[in-house]
Amino acid sequence: MNIIYNLGFSLPAVFNQGVVIAIVGYCTVFSALVVLYFVFTYLSKLLNLEIRNRLRREGKDEYAAVKDLQISGDESAAISMAIYLFHELHDVESNIITIKKIERAYSPWSSKIYSLRRYPN
Amino acid sequence: MALRKFITIIGIIAVLSIISSCFGSSEKSDNNMNSGNTSLVTPSGDIDDNSINTKDSGAASGIKKFFEYTGFSNATPGHIIMLLVGLFFIFLAIKYDYEPLLLIPIGVGILIGNIPFFQTGSINLQLGIYQEGSVMNYLYFGVIKGIYPPLIFLGIGAMTDFSSLISNPRLMLLGAAAQVGIFLTFIGALFIGFNLPEAGSIGIIGGADGPTAIYLSSKLANGGIINGIQTKNLIGPIAIAAYSYMALVPVIQPPIMKLLTSRRERLIRMKPPRSVSKVEKMIFPIVGLILTAFISPSSLPLLGMLFFGNILKESGVTKRLADTARNSLIDIVTILLGVTVGASTQADVFLNSQSILIFVLGAFSFMVATAGGIMFAKVMNLFLPEGNKINPLVGAAGVSAVPDSARVVQTQGLKEDPSNHLLMHAMAPNVSGVIGSAVAAGILISFLY
Repeated sequence: MNIIYNLGFSLPAVFNQGVVIAIVGYCTVFSALVVLYFVFTYLSKLLNLEIRNRLRREGKDEYAAVKDLQISGDESAAISMAIYLFHELHDVESNIITIKKIERAYSPWSSKIYSLRRYPN
Repeated sequence: MALRKFITIIGIIAVLSIISSCFGSSEKSDNNMNSGNTSLVTPSGDIDDNSINTKDSGAASGIKKFFEYTGFSNATPGHIIMLLVGLFFIFLAIKYDYEPLLLIPIGVGILIGNIPFFQTGSINLQLGIYQEGSVMNYLYFGVIKGIYPPLIFLGIGAMTDFSSLISNPRLMLLGAAAQVGIFLTFIGALFIGFNLPEAGSIGIIGGADGPTAIYLSSKLANGGIINGIQTKNLIGPIAIAAYSYMALVPVIQPPIMKLLTSRRERLIRMKPPRSVSKVEKMIFPIVGLILTAFISPSSLPLLGMLFFGNILKESGVTKRLADTARNSLIDIVTILLGVTVGASTQADVFLNSQSILIFVLGAFSFMVATAGGIMFAKVMNLFLPEGNKINPLVGAAGVSAVPDSARVVQTQGLKEDPSNHLLMHAMAPNVSGVIGSAVAAGILISFLY
């Protein structure tokens, strides 16, 4: 079995030790994430409770009684898109179209007479 | 007329070349004669043949010495094999886009580490990564002392959004289940003869997390005496195996996913994740840090930095620090880590039967971890009500390999149903896999160090 090293001690002892480490280690990893699972499952409920209390204090009992206070990712994406479209894409225009007359004082430097070809008389 | 001109010019050139060659050869012969006279005739007037031999042998020995210092003279088949491996990594990264940010630095590192140069026991040219005082040796310090992996974790924390995990905490269990690969490989490595610390380092390949693998092997398989057991330096092979299999996740995982799930299971649609409040996102890294570090204090360097990076991101008041951690810092450390890990695979250290065994065990580890996540999802489905079931493909993302394994889940899900997007669901076990593998590394350190 021992194809690489001559370890100098019996393999079954090490192997048994390894199996114990593996079982205890795996259980510990699992327990760490199970604890996180419980904490974050109940944390959201705790936060919802706080939101409901706040809504009741503000007199919004009908909202506080809603069964599911959370909105889905799809709904929040739709709301975000709507806000974006409202603020970013709709220009506010005056709807008044005018032609502004621009007056310039005469100057020989910009006179058309000198810039147009005149036919000989 | 033109012909006469052409013949004249050619004639002049020919005459000039003949004259110059005659004068040149006569000058050379004069020089030779002169040098010959000075060298041949000794002050006493006797002819000394040895002087010629000495001069020739001096030049020859100089050239010979120069040649001995070149890579051509010192190249061994091992060097050539490793150079080809490095080129293969670069090819995979460029041609198939397999983790190019990792495989290019590692591939180039393998080339740098396997350029053959003159080495004898007493002479230290300060070139190789294992030669004290070389630039590469200084950079390698960050690997052997486990400095780079926590810095990488800081960057990962600053770029990870845990909201998919917070919105559906039960998917966290899939990340825990997939860590079975680590511990089964640990037992497998012991079974074929590796000692305890080495087996622990090899097992962590199943965590599919490069920095964690490097961190653990730098602690447990660094060539020193760990807990009274002499270990071999396995950092290079373990890191290369971990990163290679991470790059090959799109190749390794899909067949296992198909094998272990039915078409009906692959078509399961999961409820869209709820939106997560800012408060929850801020609480997660703080509570996560305290809980996991209390359970496994040895994983503190990794998890501490991971959650610290996430606090930088989610607090909303340290945008500059978060930006640096997730961009510049992680890029710099990735470059240094990739090149030094690649360069540490010098042929004489890397090419041996152990490396091959480590690669075999690493592949086994990845497969078991993938299967573990999928099977646990199927077991969970037995207890979950209809309409709230988990698509078992998501379990495959429990092996960390962020975000590649989640991407593989998304691709496989889309192949079965082009409108079933599993990416967000898969990210939950994916990031919990990172936490799980770091906790596992901490536990192995506390048992074996």
